[in-house]
Amino acid sequence: MGHYIVRRLLISIPVFLGITLLNFLIMNMAPGNPVDMLINPNIPKELLEIKKELLGLNDPLYIQYVKWLGGFFRGELGYSFSSFAPVSQLIGARIGPTLLLAAASMLVGILIAVPVGVISAVKQNSKLDYVMTGLSFLGTSIPPFFLGLGFIYLVGIKLKWLPTGGMSTLGGSGSFGDILMHMILPVIVLGITIAGKKVRYVRASMLDVLHQDYLRTARAKGLSEFLVTNKHALRNALIPIITIIGAEIPLVLGGSIIIEQVFQWPGIGQLTMEAILSRDYPTLMGINLIAACVILLTNLFTDIVYSIVDPRIKYS
Amino acid sequence: MKTRFRVQGFIVLTIFLIFLSACSETKQVNVEATAEPAKEEFYVKATTNDAKAKKTLYIGIVNAPVTLNQINTQGSSASLAPINLLNDSLLDVTDTAQFIPKLAESIETQDKQTYRIKLKANAKWNDGNPFTTADVAFTLKLALHAKVESSFKLDFIEGLNDIGKLDEGKTELSGLKIIDPTTFEIKTKTPIDPLVFNERFGVKVNFLPEHILKDANPEQLSTNEYFQKPLVTIGPYKFANYEQGQFVEVTKNEKYYLDVPKIDTIFIKVHPAANLVAQLQTGEIQMNSLPVGLVPITDYDKVKGFENVNVTSAPASEPAEIFFNTEKLPDKKVRQAIAYALNRPLIVEQLLKGQAEIIDGGIPSSHPYFNKNIANYDYNPEKAKELLKEANWDPKRTITFIIPVGNKVREQAADILVQNLESVGIKVDVQKFDFPTLIDKVEKGEHDITIFTRDYYIEPSLYFTTYKSDDPESVIRFKNPLVDELIKKGEQEIIEEKRHEIYNQLQEVLHDEVATLAVYSEKRLQVVSKNVLVGKPLNLGTFNNVNQWDIETK
Repeated sequence: MGHYIVRRLLISIPVFLGITLLNFLIMNMAPGNPVDMLINPNIPKELLEIKKELLGLNDPLYIQYVKWLGGFFRGELGYSFSSFAPVSQLIGARIGPTLLLAAASMLVGILIAVPVGVISAVKQNSKLDYVMTGLSFLGTSIPPFFLGLGFIYLVGIKLKWLPTGGMSTLGGSGSFGDILMHMILPVIVLGITIAGKKVRYVRASMLDVLHQDYLRTARAKGLSEFLVTNKHALRNALIPIITIIGAEIPLVLGGSIIIEQVFQWPGIGQLTMEAILSRDYPTLMGINLIAACVILLTNLFTDIVYSIVDPRIKYS
Repeated sequence: MKTRFRVQGFIVLTIFLIFLSACSETKQVNVEATAEPAKEEFYVKATTNDAKAKKTLYIGIVNAPVTLNQINTQGSSASLAPINLLNDSLLDVTDTAQFIPKLAESIETQDKQTYRIKLKANAKWNDGNPFTTADVAFTLKLALHAKVESSFKLDFIEGLNDIGKLDEGKTELSGLKIIDPTTFEIKTKTPIDPLVFNERFGVKVNFLPEHILKDANPEQLSTNEYFQKPLVTIGPYKFANYEQGQFVEVTKNEKYYLDVPKIDTIFIKVHPAANLVAQLQTGEIQMNSLPVGLVPITDYDKVKGFENVNVTSAPASEPAEIFFNTEKLPDKKVRQAIAYALNRPLIVEQLLKGQAEIIDGGIPSSHPYFNKNIANYDYNPEKAKELLKEANWDPKRTITFIIPVGNKVREQAADILVQNLESVGIKVDVQKFDFPTLIDKVEKGEHDITIFTRDYYIEPSLYFTTYKSDDPESVIRFKNPLVDELIKKGEQEIIEEKRHEIYNQLQEVLHDEVATLAVYSEKRLQVVSKNVLVGKPLNLGTFNNVNQWDIETK
């Protein structure tokens, strides 16, 4: 297992470099550059040229990439082109809120999806099953921003129960309770979206298992239906679901961009939007780097968890 | 047994990970609170018996301020809001374009070439250090250094090159003469209109504290820690907290050299436009800001119905303008036809609910140099068709209309314009892009027409630089010797009446040529909570009397 992890990590290095190179090239292919934002008939072109020179935008692309890579190996991600704050600091401030939002939403999503999917499978073709699959279909098909705006209007503005945006009350204490209040709406919206997709997987996977012979054996041995379903069947049904959940983590991080916009959640999503619109290359590279790390690590993590849950799988 | 441990292990691991990220978050908040003891004290006060006395104002803004750097604003209007709260300049400007003295006691000139500035003797930085001419000299030399990026446009000062910088290797500015700690003189290359001096030097130059930044390396100035946390500034408010893309928090400067502000804390909160309206309704923000905290005019009726706010309209602002690529549309009859084809009254009445004004030129109607005698091109599709016929317009020719995304009203107006053009027989290919892409396309001349809004300039000559023929990458690629001559004359003229004459004539020529055409000047909505006693968002000079602002406490 140890060897396996080391080997996977080593393979990750060239993959990782490839990702950064591709990102860099694609980013630079987009029309416009950071200096274009400042174009104004009253700013002499010469000044903009000086700025381009200072930012290193006049260097050939490969030099720009090598410079960035050099900085990266020295542990520096450079400075944002718009705010001149260190990129590591910008991302550092945003990664916590995004992880918090994504993790809480994943948890809520799974907590809804697993029981609903299991019940739906056990009571296959009953009215309850139809209601549940119908609801899951709704959860998947309603766009999260729409759901978000609906919640803001209803819960935030009409009922005034919860704050409509941000992560804490400005000028407030920033206490855990305060953050929790601000989390409820975005987490519910993202959780519902995640659950909507997962319910169908859990249901299908569970149905698959429920027809297996070994469950008949278990029942024949006199085990209660509850134990048969929740211990013998669920455990095996979970195996494929883990893969899907693993693959979902990067999607949740990316998908929260919209939710972060709607609820003004101070996460990576907002930073990404701002960086794209201002062609802030160093910040975008930093964000891409984080995204690549997350994807590579979650893949590894999924494989490891897989082997824990299913002892038949051995990595060597 | 073993398998149960595995499953439990998995669950514990998941929960642990979730808590880990949750904990790291709360930790971050705590660190901030302890790093700034003053702020923590404020929280404690706010929750105890002192809560009544604390005055906090929340201002909503739509675009995020990108920087707090007072000498390099990156062209970001949103950044000006916090920067102007933190810094005073020599003069402030009011919404009627009047100048009021701030750090300057007086600015005097006999010959319009040597300007003598007297500083207020009691002006001091928020750490108590006096503000003197040494700070002025330090700021100018540093900001105008060849390797320093700054948004100052001071190319008229003697000793600076054509792009308004010191030549490489030079550190002294010959046009600056320090007389004593509160008096200095600026000498310009040629006599200039005091209006230009007041706007570009008096209002737009902010200062840096020499005692804090004296050892800063000019070549790495922009990444200096100070600009991330400008603790020592000279405005009515001082820096408290800045979460990029989220909010800027400022607290009152108890050592302010004018009346100490009445409101203790101001938050500038960043919101998408839809949330801005929602938060005005819930009272989470008490005021929008101009020009980057626009309440969408489409929400006018809705906002008017809110019980907790007062809604007024500012005077008509800078217009959204159509810029023609005159290389591709060289016949002025075609451009005039387009002007006649546009149903601007419909846009103003239907789309902007009457909260806008129609003018043809780019200078706002409230501007002192606006030519009132120019009659607008009316909506007259028949005349448009006639002109197109005279110009032998090829009905198969498609024109490319590049529209920037982001301003919904402007996008909708552009859609109406497209319909208008098609109904007089001009085919239009609409392309929508974000701003950097648009600039890239426009610089390459890929457009026939495009639409955007220019900034407001008190100094009138700045409106005309666009029409000069010497810029190959200009949006309009306009070439007209008479216009060039008038622009030059206008820039050099320092007698006000003569300047008015020149600019009136220039505006007439440009009106006839239609190189650009204003579509509508929006009367931006000013939405202010009823518990704000003094204070209002303005098109110009919003924060010029912010120390007098006040709100009711409950």
